[in-house]
Amino acid sequence: MDNLITLARKIARAGTWFGGSLLVIAALIIGVEVVIRKAFSLSIGGADELSGFALAIGSAWSFAFALMDRAHVRIDSLYVVLPTRLCAFLDVLGLMALTGFMALVTWFGYGVFEKSWAFGARTMSPLAPPLAVPQALWVLGLVMFMAVALLLLARALIALVTGDSRGVQRLIGSRTVAQEIEQELAELARRGDAGTGTPS
Amino acid sequence: MIGVTVAVLLGLLAISIPVAAVLGIVGLVLDQSYSILPLYLAIGEFSWAVSNDVILVAVPLYILLGEILLRSGIAERMYAAMMHWMSWLPGGLMHSNIGTCTLFSAVSGSSVATAATIGTVAMGEIEKHGYNERMFVGTIAAGGTLGILIPPSINMIVYGVLTETSIPQLYLAGMIPGLILAGLFMLTVIIGCLAKPVWGGRKIETNWAQRWASVPDLFPPFVIFVVVIGSIYGGLATPTESAALGVIIALGLAAWRRRLTWTMMRDALEGTMRSTAMIMAILLGAYFLNFVISSIGLAAQVNAFVTDIGLTPMGTLLVVVAFYLVLGMFMETLSMMIATIPIITPVILALGFDPVWFGILMMLLIETALITPPVGVNLYVVQGVRGRGQLHDVMIGAAPFVIALMAMIALLIAFPDIALWLPETLAR
Repeated sequence: MDNLITLARKIARAGTWFGGSLLVIAALIIGVEVVIRKAFSLSIGGADELSGFALAIGSAWSFAFALMDRAHVRIDSLYVVLPTRLCAFLDVLGLMALTGFMALVTWFGYGVFEKSWAFGARTMSPLAPPLAVPQALWVLGLVMFMAVALLLLARALIALVTGDSRGVQRLIGSRTVAQEIEQELAELARRGDAGTGTPS
Repeated sequence: MIGVTVAVLLGLLAISIPVAAVLGIVGLVLDQSYSILPLYLAIGEFSWAVSNDVILVAVPLYILLGEILLRSGIAERMYAAMMHWMSWLPGGLMHSNIGTCTLFSAVSGSSVATAATIGTVAMGEIEKHGYNERMFVGTIAAGGTLGILIPPSINMIVYGVLTETSIPQLYLAGMIPGLILAGLFMLTVIIGCLAKPVWGGRKIETNWAQRWASVPDLFPPFVIFVVVIGSIYGGLATPTESAALGVIIALGLAAWRRRLTWTMMRDALEGTMRSTAMIMAILLGAYFLNFVISSIGLAAQVNAFVTDIGLTPMGTLLVVVAFYLVLGMFMETLSMMIATIPIITPVILALGFDPVWFGILMMLLIETALITPPVGVNLYVVQGVRGRGQLHDVMIGAAPFVIALMAMIALLIAFPDIALWLPETLAR
């Protein structure tokens, strides 16, 4: 199962690269559109619409990575003073709540796609792309999140039942202050070469 | 209805359920309890609508812009230039910290990114020149908060989208308060260093030749500012388009400085998408909650409740300000803003306050929340960059600047034109 989690981590990371690349491409297309519009009073039209799709697909494909990286914000003012056992319980409860809510989003999101597909819905722009295509990719990202979330939930439940509270926290615990700092430092160490050229 | 909403919201937040889920659950609870029609059936439509909102595309683009700039090396050169220009003031480089933060805020939409970037560059200078360490790190934590007040601003975009307020107007409204606040921060340093000259470190030798020689290093941020902000008011681009142009220029700049590599892009994209996913997940919950709240007429109830208390509009506003100051000590700022806007803003607007002005007030309250303990993200970031000593050094160092922020909040409430003059003048 832990191998499965390692694999999921890789897939989730690849998902963010895909999603991030879509947004970079969207930025480039928008840039071209703005220049063409001003310089030649022409409009290729629909660049903003495509960028909207990039945001929807990009963020959906990144939800899983954010989850594994424990980036989904939780308020931990109280959490940090609670005993580990209770924290582990709250971690599982929190993941259940997030998974539950996202399950609704995914389920009804699929309904949105299905409707667009059945009616062959297109947008009003000059490009008029069929809505079902971006919506399918969006739902696919949400499904990926669900798969990863359920996998983590199963693993965390096993850890909780076997009394491995630390294991639960390592897997899905809230990012405490210490971890935030640790990560920030690791980032800076990696960026060490950026420190050159400081004034003396 | 109000009691249930607040109790469920705060209760779930307190036991550290993820904010995105909390907003969704509160929406579902209100839907089940008070709505005649089952509103949750529309979750799919709402989720798709918020996910592909063109205005929100600006959010990841600004984050990406910041991530690229952070790795492009322009901050070091900016800092060196500001050192030559500002270090003659009592407090020396602490003014350069605030000055560089102000400049960087004009290209960055995030306070955390601003504090992290300038902190990385400045931290080595403390011992070199014998500054009071607490005050020095305080200037970075506080100066960094300017990131969301001086345009561009991710928080203003989210505020604008949730309250249907014009983002170009918000941007204009943030400029003058941003500069005044930077001035107040500098005044705080001057007062501190006049009272205790030893805090101000050793004098830095510079001359006019070096000053002028450093000017070209200020061009890159200036160009980005002109493109990102100028293109909006020149009628060339929407905020989203201007953010895209900013990303393209930043990529070019990083390439020119030979910092554009695959590893760098991968790190930048991972950082961008991690934050984007986090924000979008919260917005999924918030949009649904927003919809439920307006459908069941909760805002009207809150309005009636506020009227019943019999406070004057100003009294109500002060209660709201106090509420945010307290909540901001314990809550991550963007979630605080998104979670409270659907309930608080309608009340404030019904009392006759201007939505653009309230947006700027909200930014100031968030800035305060970023540097008030126990939970103040900028405090953690600066402590993380510093990598030694205790977190409470940063908390103490930032405290005088909290007073400066309070003064700014009081000024903005007493003289709303500080924010509204520029947008009103240019709109005519």
